[in-house]
Amino acid sequence: MELQVQLLMNTLQIGSVYVLFALGLTLIFGVMKIVNFAHGTFFTAAALIVSSVMIWGVGTMGLSIWLSYILAFFLALAVVCLIGFIVYIFGFQHFLKDLNGSFILSIGLLLLLNGTYLILYGGVPRSIPTVVPGVVTFLGASLTLQRLLLMIVAAVITLGLYILVHRTKLGLSLRAVAEDQEAAMLQGIPFRRVALYGFLIGATLAACAGALMATVTPVTTVIGDDFLVKAFIIIIIGGLGSVVGAIIGGLLIALIESFGGYYFDPSTATLAMFVLVIVLLIVRPQGILGHAEK
Amino acid sequence: MLKSNPGLALCILIALAAIGFALFSGDPYYVQVVIWVFANAVLAVTLRFVLLIGELNIATAAFFGIGAYTTAVAATIFEWPFVISLLAAPVMAGLISALFGWVTLRTKGPYFLLISFAFTEIVRLFYTKSEFLGGNSGMIGMYPPMALNDYYPAIAVTILAAILFALYAAERSNLGRIFKAIQNNEDIPRSVGLNVIGLKILCFVIASTAVGLAGGVHSYTNSVIAPADFTFFVAVLALAYVKIGGEGHIAGPIIGATILTLVGQWLHSFGPYENIFYGAIIIGVLLLMPGGIIGLGDRFRGRSTTRRDPH
Repeated sequence: MELQVQLLMNTLQIGSVYVLFALGLTLIFGVMKIVNFAHGTFFTAAALIVSSVMIWGVGTMGLSIWLSYILAFFLALAVVCLIGFIVYIFGFQHFLKDLNGSFILSIGLLLLLNGTYLILYGGVPRSIPTVVPGVVTFLGASLTLQRLLLMIVAAVITLGLYILVHRTKLGLSLRAVAEDQEAAMLQGIPFRRVALYGFLIGATLAACAGALMATVTPVTTVIGDDFLVKAFIIIIIGGLGSVVGAIIGGLLIALIESFGGYYFDPSTATLAMFVLVIVLLIVRPQGILGHAEK
Repeated sequence: MLKSNPGLALCILIALAAIGFALFSGDPYYVQVVIWVFANAVLAVTLRFVLLIGELNIATAAFFGIGAYTTAVAATIFEWPFVISLLAAPVMAGLISALFGWVTLRTKGPYFLLISFAFTEIVRLFYTKSEFLGGNSGMIGMYPPMALNDYYPAIAVTILAAILFALYAAERSNLGRIFKAIQNNEDIPRSVGLNVIGLKILCFVIASTAVGLAGGVHSYTNSVIAPADFTFFVAVLALAYVKIGGEGHIAGPIIGATILTLVGQWLHSFGPYENIFYGAIIIGVLLLMPGGIIGLGDRFRGRSTTRRDPH
């Protein structure tokens, strides 16, 4: 029982980061109909910024750990937003709804940005100091307070995004554009501006995931790439462009990874995810909550 | 036929010259570069072949690897003769691709792109976890028979060039026209009673078989293969060749592969800056020359081959 609770806790903790990452990817797909292979670089950028600002804040400036973390978190979000804006204006703007063109553009960006990170930061993994010390015990399973907070923050952000997409005017335009871009434009929705907002929200979500992940794992310049393959599997399972689908898919993949990794081994778990995708494709090609392509 | 198609005649001449170079040049490094150019051209052309039906097939990299590993297993574990080991590669790649295509080609666009990407990574994971395939360090010891050793580079170039011409012929045939029709609007071929899914699978199997054979050739050329040689990045580079050369014509990926392979040899000396250069080249070409080098030629002639979203 304790073991299962522990594994379930693990699932929720990995899953919450997966969900954030995959949500950004699925949102960008939904609005712009592009697959952004450079999504991991947003994640990496945020994690790298958090780690260097923390070292600077705690080491050089003598700030308290949690204050430098909050500072680092918002700085990371701002910088990633800026990177996203530049990348959109000079790149993706010209490849809206062009799957192949945007794919190769995002690959070019991936190479360019990852190479730049490597030169700026070097290949040595860095860990940041624990922001919130302490351990909580729940039904016999123990969990560091830091990981619990990570889950809560991720859940709040996810909820915030859900409200944004389903309860606000911007969310309505995002959904309208995702459903039928031409009809949305006929209704007076400025497609390009909405696409920009969608892209920036997606990039910010990846940045949140990166900034949160930096607290529990050593940061390297390729940290985001490991998430990419799984995020793709998640959004195929959930249905491309579906917010709820990404949440379900993210938790499902985390569940398989956590339990499969414990009872068998991590690579068996990864193979199991792939088998799941294949089976799902045979039964329901558009994903659990996706819409069939017209 | 050659008179009416001077470009094809030129290509045959270039291929013959490359075979001659592989036979008579004493410099093993440059011969190796020529083989790389042709192998990369095959990767790019097979990627573009599946683009004919409108699908971006990252699994090109996986089938290249499946071909290479099949030949390696046949040659070193089963110790089959050279020709049979080599031919096992396209057979294996063809069979697996038929199965994979049968399952996945019911999806299209982004779903197919992502599933082919996941497949490539999973196949690579499978190599690293398989003891009999050498795990992470891969397999060694694929040598052509002693009698053929001196001629092997020429044989490799001949096979690779033959694949390119065969794919060109396939694209120009009626079958190739049907593939393009499927890309334009698959409901129309379906409306005249064609089995669109079957034809898509056929297109996919042709491309995968071709790239599988190239993988077998790669196995003997390198004598060493490892899982890290067959990441999705192989397909990414192939797509870069296609985009930079231009996807409007089969010559585009070949030109792109040639230029980037040669530039890549030069870029190796830049260490960590290598990827930045590749990234910058890809982004630059994409933004400044949509349609690639082939598209540039067409633009001078006043034809526009580039499609831009009207919105």
